[in-house]
Amino acid sequence: MKKGNRSFGKILMILAIVFFYLPILYMIIFSFNEGKSLTSFTGFSLRWYQHMLESRDMMSALYTTFSVAILATAISTVVGTIAAIGLSKSKKIVRDVMEQVNNFPIMNPEIVTAIGFMLLFITFKVERGYMTMLLAHIAFCIPYVILSVMPKVRSLDPNLADAAMDLGATPWVALTRVIVPQITPGIFSGALMAFTMSVDDFIISYFVTGGGVKNLSIMVYTMSKRVNPSINAVSTLVVLIITVILVIINVVPLIAARRPKKAEISKRHIAVPAAVAAVVVACLVIVFGMNKGEVSDLPYAGQTLYIYLPGEYMGEEIIPAFEEQTGATVIVENFDSNEQMYIKVTNGESYDIIIPSDYMIMRLMDEGYLQKLDQSLLTCFEDLDEAVLSPAFDPDNEYSVSYFWGTVGIVYDKTKVSEADLEEQGYGIFLNEKYKGDIYLYDSERDSFMMALKDLGYSMNTENEAELQEAYNWLVQCVTTMEPEIVTDEIIDNMAQGRKALGLCYSGDATYIMSENENMGFYMPEEGTNRWYDSMVIPTTAESVELAHEFMNFISSYDMAYANSDYVGYTSPNLAVKEALSSEEEEGSYAGINAYLPRTDHPLDEVFVFNEEVKKLMGNLWSKVKIAASNAN
Amino acid sequence: MKKFSQLAVPYIAWAVMMLIFPMFLMLLYSFTEHGNSIISFSFTLEHYVKFFSDPDFLLILWRSFGIAVKTTIICLLLGYPLAYFIARSSEKIQNILVLCITIPTWINMLVRTYAWIGLLSDGGPFARLLGLFGFEEVELLYTEFAVLLGMVYNFLPFMILQINTSLCKMDQSLLNASADLGATPAQTFWKVTFPLSLPGVINGITLVFLPAISSFFIPKLLGGGQYFLIGNLIENQFITVGEWNFGSAISMIMAVVMMLLMMVVKKLEVRNQGGKEEK
Amino acid sequence: MERKKVIEFRNIAKSFDKQITLKGINLDIYENEFVTLLGPSGCGKTTLLRILGGFLEADEGNIIFDGEEISHKPPYQRELNTVFQKYALFPHLSVYENIAFGLKLKKMSKDVIEQKVMKMLKLIGLEGYENKNTTLLSGGQQQRVAIARALVNEPKVLLLDEPLAALDLKLRKEMQYELKRIQQEVGITFIFVTHDQEEALTMSDKIVVMNGGEIQQVGTPEEIYNEPANRFVANFIGESNILPGVMLDDYKVRFDDITFDCVDYGFKKNEPVDVVIRPEDTDIVPVEQGKMTGEVLSTLFKGVHYEIMVETVPGTSVTVDMRVIHNHEVTSENGKEKINASNFYVDLEDVDKLDDKEIIARSNAMAWSTENDEYISIASIEYDIKPELGSYPVVFSTANGTAVERTVFVVNQPFIKNEKANEAIMAFNFFTTVDEIRESQTLDTDIKTWANAQGWKLSDESQSIDISVDYDFEPENVKEGVYKITFWTTGREFKIHTTDYSEVGQEVGLTFFPEDIHVMSRMTY
Repeated sequence: MKKGNRSFGKILMILAIVFFYLPILYMIIFSFNEGKSLTSFTGFSLRWYQHMLESRDMMSALYTTFSVAILATAISTVVGTIAAIGLSKSKKIVRDVMEQVNNFPIMNPEIVTAIGFMLLFITFKVERGYMTMLLAHIAFCIPYVILSVMPKVRSLDPNLADAAMDLGATPWVALTRVIVPQITPGIFSGALMAFTMSVDDFIISYFVTGGGVKNLSIMVYTMSKRVNPSINAVSTLVVLIITVILVIINVVPLIAARRPKKAEISKRHIAVPAAVAAVVVACLVIVFGMNKGEVSDLPYAGQTLYIYLPGEYMGEEIIPAFEEQTGATVIVENFDSNEQMYIKVTNGESYDIIIPSDYMIMRLMDEGYLQKLDQSLLTCFEDLDEAVLSPAFDPDNEYSVSYFWGTVGIVYDKTKVSEADLEEQGYGIFLNEKYKGDIYLYDSERDSFMMALKDLGYSMNTENEAELQEAYNWLVQCVTTMEPEIVTDEIIDNMAQGRKALGLCYSGDATYIMSENENMGFYMPEEGTNRWYDSMVIPTTAESVELAHEFMNFISSYDMAYANSDYVGYTSPNLAVKEALSSEEEEGSYAGINAYLPRTDHPLDEVFVFNEEVKKLMGNLWSKVKIAASNAN
Repeated sequence: MKKFSQLAVPYIAWAVMMLIFPMFLMLLYSFTEHGNSIISFSFTLEHYVKFFSDPDFLLILWRSFGIAVKTTIICLLLGYPLAYFIARSSEKIQNILVLCITIPTWINMLVRTYAWIGLLSDGGPFARLLGLFGFEEVELLYTEFAVLLGMVYNFLPFMILQINTSLCKMDQSLLNASADLGATPAQTFWKVTFPLSLPGVINGITLVFLPAISSFFIPKLLGGGQYFLIGNLIENQFITVGEWNFGSAISMIMAVVMMLLMMVVKKLEVRNQGGKEEK
Repeated sequence: MERKKVIEFRNIAKSFDKQITLKGINLDIYENEFVTLLGPSGCGKTTLLRILGGFLEADEGNIIFDGEEISHKPPYQRELNTVFQKYALFPHLSVYENIAFGLKLKKMSKDVIEQKVMKMLKLIGLEGYENKNTTLLSGGQQQRVAIARALVNEPKVLLLDEPLAALDLKLRKEMQYELKRIQQEVGITFIFVTHDQEEALTMSDKIVVMNGGEIQQVGTPEEIYNEPANRFVANFIGESNILPGVMLDDYKVRFDDITFDCVDYGFKKNEPVDVVIRPEDTDIVPVEQGKMTGEVLSTLFKGVHYEIMVETVPGTSVTVDMRVIHNHEVTSENGKEKINASNFYVDLEDVDKLDDKEIIARSNAMAWSTENDEYISIASIEYDIKPELGSYPVVFSTANGTAVERTVFVVNQPFIKNEKANEAIMAFNFFTTVDEIRESQTLDTDIKTWANAQGWKLSDESQSIDISVDYDFEPENVKEGVYKITFWTTGREFKIHTTDYSEVGQEVGLTFFPEDIHVMSRMTY
């Protein structure tokens, strides 16, 4: 081709390679960043690697990813190869039909396949977790193996197996000694494809997993809302593992080819995957070797506590300390929203402690998903703030122990927003076009409707459809005219960096934001706000009930509650802790931050009440608000 | 030889259980009333009616379609020249380049998408670079641009590899024949090379379009919460709202739409063969 | 009639990866000629065609087309068209679209294109096929479409790159006539590449024989056949008897120790030459009338004629003794194993080549289980054979210690030389048993192994020659005793095509006319 075209191609190619590798490189560089920022490199450090190694969540995600991938690859390769050989000898009609069936997971959008698997497991009441993930992976990997083995089988001389059997080979020997060696390249590339698909998979795993089992993708998805450079560290580790595997796959045959002894060539086919598997297994053993705990004689040794709580909602040292004290193993699973939690819990997934919000506790109580606490096992109530004792949804503390509490307010950048506007307009500031494109809404139907209803002068617990409709219109106006970003936890880091001027925010998050950035302020409108309580409850499906009580006492104790509140930034129900953290004299982390001390004396402040009808209506309306926001782009 | 056909039996059983039955379940859910038991089956069309009667849902479907089409077109426009360049390189360079393009696909998609957050966020390298040219305060993250970028980034390798395979498989003598018959290189490209690479292009389009239309983590990670595509809608129905029947109905709609599209594409592929097929 | 040159190759050279494919080709091609480039694969003929077509660029030299230098023109500017080896029909276009491809590029009007395409379809006899998918046509039909696609552009020269290679024999014959007919009808130059000499002889006006990147001979089919320029051409075209000889004087050539009259002249006195005599130019006559004599080795019926092989120079033979002795295997103490081996002879010079494997093969050593008759491997062999004449013991034993001792005789075995036939053979006396002979499935081969029979060229000892074996016993009825075994080679064979039958073993005379003797310069490689 012409010289000009050639150099154009070269430039494009270089740009493409830069495009492909830039993010990976960026990620690797920032995994060594000393600071938490993803945009400015402040110095070299290995702290995120240390953090990664200490985080059992990440390690187990890595382990799950690769162990599922290896198992799924091995099983699907064997099954797929056998099936391909079988199918190639089957009647044409069987073959054609199966070809179509095989195409299901390949040609369907992945989310459709994922939902199919999810429904299957739920219908048969298979407890979702590692096994279901493995089964689903095997199921979607096999078609790829068949796809790559089938053409090789079809191109084989059909008399090959007959010839082998004519010479006295049993069918099994004919299969393994004659047919399989002939189609090895196909099997190998099929296995490779299966492995890639499995390691890479997110959507299917996301829908079929449960019980806190996460692979890397799910972990990144659930953790990505807040800046967490450990993700970069764990990603770098993955890049490293994959690179090692690729180098082995690509270099070993070259070395083997240099020594072209026949005997070695025939061994090579086995040697490469074997070497790959060996390296991966070795890596895994090295990484996880340290995690194998020794048998202990502590009171709860051998027991497991399943905790289900919102993401980034517990101090990092709490779980290790609890495990050390009790000898139990704790498995933590995070949810994005109370609603997501509700679906899982009501579908029979078993947890020992869940930490929902007030209205959801009410709902779970009403529907009989919670068990009463054994008051004789609880020692924690005496330390708690009077404000959190006897909440409206559980006046006798029969079911719940307070975990965190607070309000909802507006976090704002003092340099961009005039306090006068705030005081004058309250929530109405979210309709003020002066701040167009500079606001965050919180992706929660309750809080968004609270804001709208309060601004309109209604109760946030209204059951009046007309009022709700009005609030809906208020929100639609907001999303269509104000170009807001609808976020969840992303608001925390983004506001701490001062990206936008205004955001609706939980007081606890505001506390953290203000402690990071002194330009930020927190304002609670006079129209009133939502006062909320997140509390620990024990569902009826809990297995380690006694341990769960133990945990409630543990987390409510002064030291743990202090560490917890200090880390997360949410207001502790432990009175002494709350006072210590907000006190100037004791140099508490949140001294002088108004968001840390929830407003308890305002007459218009309310606590959410659960009403199924309203909830459903609000849910649907909020979905439509988001759709409207999305369609407004 | 007949014996070997029995080897397929276990897999057929497995496929019925793991591939066919889930689809059947989904179909069933999509036609049943709310409530998650398949035993108390009561037929209804309400979920489909709900979807098709609400312009907002249709708009979402349309927008998902739009962004998938945009992604596919960008991938095609970038992928074809790249694949062509690779196919025309010497074999050694070809292998290296193909490897270069394959390696990123080996690294977890979520991880690679996550890496873009830092690159695109305010104060990140791209924003600073634009700042140098006087474009300050340009929002990159949480925009349609970011979503599109994320999709192109994730799916472009599929397009390149597919087209490259079909270009490499092409018989050099056809190109010689074309030149021999008087076609200039440009004419040869448009009259021979491109039509013959269409199967690869179609495969590439499928491999890009399919995940692009159903992706929900790319919009969520790079588009922010206000960026809602059909994939997010389905996720939302299952994970947050708990309307499985409605979610199943949307999934079915999507599966059917995709199936129809694939059929159209297949037809196009057949049309691409010169002359009539004699039966 | 002075015809016009269309193509002139001037000193074309080309190499790939330092391997020279064309070594300076000079060739003129005239108007309205059917020229064939003929040669074995790798001779450079296709390379030359591709350079002409413009798909390759020559390293050196010029191509002049119609008086114009075109070496650096791209293919699409050359006024010639190619029919490719595997046709290279565009799979995405129909028959009609394929043929119209070149015309459409020239932006001709639709009706002109249609007329031309239809005319072509008629020429190639594929009317009514215009809308078919090319991939569904038969090989012969595809071939015709490829020709039509090229011809429709009215090129001055049509290049055909082994176009018939993919067709079956019958179709190939048909297409040969078809191509010749088309060439005569359209009246343009065809340059045809093939490795099939028969195809070349049938179709061409002019044949260019190529080998090793060089032109060996250019001429009409008759010239090429009757007067091959050298041994290569003679061998490649038709069948021939090629004999080394000496040109004594003009019209006098000597080969096989006989002097013959011939019609060739212009060689140096006593120049070593190659002599070609075509099989069909030779006749079989009674011995006394023959210019040469020999024994009929084989007679093969070929349809129109017999192919008779006559041995004019006898082969070499050697006879040895085969001593058949009684079975003498050794049985292990527990009676579960048996082991056996034979004595054997070895040449003094070959002693240092003896190793375990060789000894087992020569002694025919084996061990087996008496229970299931399966072979047991021989675990150890003990020997100490010195390169001196004499006899040496060898002990074979199995892993369980069952052992047998045999003798190896180191002898100085003379070999039989045959200077005239340029060969030598050698074999040894050997020992064997009745059972071994009876159980042997490939007795001739086994006897050669036991006797270590070998044959080689005197001029080049590393080049071995085939040996046949003769014996006069019936393997089923063999008894202990001594048998004569003869190893022999065939001598110089002379191939004759004649319609008369001759009995194998008959002594015959051979005769030919002086003009049937064709003398060529020795090729120097």
